[in-house]
Amino acid sequence: MSDLIISTLTQGLIYALLSYGVYITYSVLDFPDLTVDSSFPLGAAVTAILLLGGMDPWLTLLCAAGAGAIAGLCTGLIHVRLGVRDLLAGIITMTALSSINLLIAGSNVTVERAVDTIFTSAPVMALLGDLSLSGRKLVVSLVLAVVIKLLLDLYFRTKSGLLLRAAGDNGTLVTTLAQNKGNKKVLGVVIANALVALCGAVVCQEQRSYSAVMGIGQVVFGLATVIIGISLVRFFTHSKGAQGLRKTKGLRFLATPQGTTAVLLGSILYKFCVQIAINVGLPANMLRFITAALFLVVLVIAGRKGEEIIHA
Amino acid sequence: MKNLKKLLCGALSLTAVLTLAACGGQDQTAETGGDVPIIGISQYGQHGSLDNCREGFLQGLQEAGLVEGTDYTIDYQNASFDDNLAIQIAQAFSAEDAALMVGIATPAATACYAAAEDKDIPVIFTAITDPVGAKLDSGNITGTSDVLPVEGQLELIRALQPEAKTIGIVYTTSESNSVYSVSVYQEKAADYGFTIEAVGVTAQSEVTQAVDSLIAKGVDCFSNLTDNNVVGVLGSILEKTNEAGIPVYGSEIEQMKLGCVAGAGLDYVQLGIQTGKMAAKVLTGEATCQDLPYEVIENYSLYTNSQAIAAMGLTLPEEIAQQAEEVGAQA
Repeated sequence: MSDLIISTLTQGLIYALLSYGVYITYSVLDFPDLTVDSSFPLGAAVTAILLLGGMDPWLTLLCAAGAGAIAGLCTGLIHVRLGVRDLLAGIITMTALSSINLLIAGSNVTVERAVDTIFTSAPVMALLGDLSLSGRKLVVSLVLAVVIKLLLDLYFRTKSGLLLRAAGDNGTLVTTLAQNKGNKKVLGVVIANALVALCGAVVCQEQRSYSAVMGIGQVVFGLATVIIGISLVRFFTHSKGAQGLRKTKGLRFLATPQGTTAVLLGSILYKFCVQIAINVGLPANMLRFITAALFLVVLVIAGRKGEEIIHA
Repeated sequence: MKNLKKLLCGALSLTAVLTLAACGGQDQTAETGGDVPIIGISQYGQHGSLDNCREGFLQGLQEAGLVEGTDYTIDYQNASFDDNLAIQIAQAFSAEDAALMVGIATPAATACYAAAEDKDIPVIFTAITDPVGAKLDSGNITGTSDVLPVEGQLELIRALQPEAKTIGIVYTTSESNSVYSVSVYQEKAADYGFTIEAVGVTAQSEVTQAVDSLIAKGVDCFSNLTDNNVVGVLGSILEKTNEAGIPVYGSEIEQMKLGCVAGAGLDYVQLGIQTGKMAAKVLTGEATCQDLPYEVIENYSLYTNSQAIAAMGLTLPEEIAQQAEEVGAQA
């Protein structure tokens, strides 16, 4: 029983990294970024190959995030500099990247148990050596999810972070401050895809495998967690000020640090919904249906309380 | 501050509810299971061949003398071709302390193997073409490979089309099984006097375009692998090739039923049975995964569809007709 909670919580925490990324593009920047479906496996591909090449597992995470950042840079520049629509810019990078992923790592890579991952690396073993593997996975992913959340919260309070938020909310304001709002958008997409690739890298290390198709549906997952998370947090913190602002942006907008907390919870909740669906014991083919039904329940309950939000 | 408290309170109560819900599900499995060892079967998706594997597997367990309910219980889950679902399914097996995990197709098997690491639960796989490439050939894991009988297929094509020179193959670049099979085809083709024209696609929507391009190149026939993407639109491929008068050879019995002329193929039920017998040995403690090297299916079978053969104006040599199983009539 506790095993199941530990492993599901671990999944939710790891995937929260991806949710943060989608939160930045979709929620903060108002940029529907489809690069995610390919930058996720990109991170995994980079990590898998570097791990097999003998690189330190923590260092491979940085490289993976770097690769994701480059992918984001491509999408950003295609949109801002070449004037391609945001949705299409993401599609272009996503499509090109799926070839790049195949070039980097082929269709499948398995990392043998003999190869150390972040969960079995020397520093983690020194600190948490007494815990079981799943215990270590939980602690490491909790630390990752919380540290990155805090870093993001800090960043959004800096000048650059505030301008980034403004670029999504009110581009004209950024221009009147003599700043280039295009650059801010690019920066946001870069950070988002670095996080997504980082998530792919952690998933790869946790699963000891990479597959070229592991990115399919990640955008949808990310959007679902952002919306579920934000609806829920609204549900529990509803009624306080800034109503007008919230109304204008509907379910999309929630300022940090509440926003990052929301998507963290959203990711965990999503994974729990799936796990419950697996465990209800209904016919195996009904899994997706149950998962969808659970989401509907969550959203309706959260929506009832803040009905005006839905109408906004 | 008040909001934060409220939020925290909400999050906690939510976790509690979820815990209870997950708990309820867990107990359910435990009740039916009791002390009987659980075999967790994770099937990657809904697919004829994979279903056959699973049914064969269950049959294999019984043929090995085990009785469901007293010797084992089955927890079957299907990941709908979603890697993330496969991960969580495998973790659920680990949480219910399954005695054995079975992964049908590569992503399901690798997810099981990852989830099994902590408790060192043995994993049995099936329907993986290249276990060595997938690095699933050592450790507490074993199973069966569905490597295609490529030489048998080339021999068969030569017998039906003595003049043919090029074989067209459409495959998905992200399906490692297909990539491996194509490499085997390219390696062996010259021995039978063929050249291979292979076109890789990334999505199901590109398959028919790839077929068009191969028809335009003038290939003498197509050989169809067990590629999930391609098999999924085999019907529309056959419409195109029939119009162009180019025969298509299959790699699994179901493909001949759909209208491929002939094929040297696997019987996935047999493969499953073989896998089930291996699993029985591991479950009863007769052997460990380390003792059992992965197996390939011993025999391949020939299947023919005489209606399709006649439509293409081909003649089936008598000795093949005698060995082969005719499946066309059922179509």
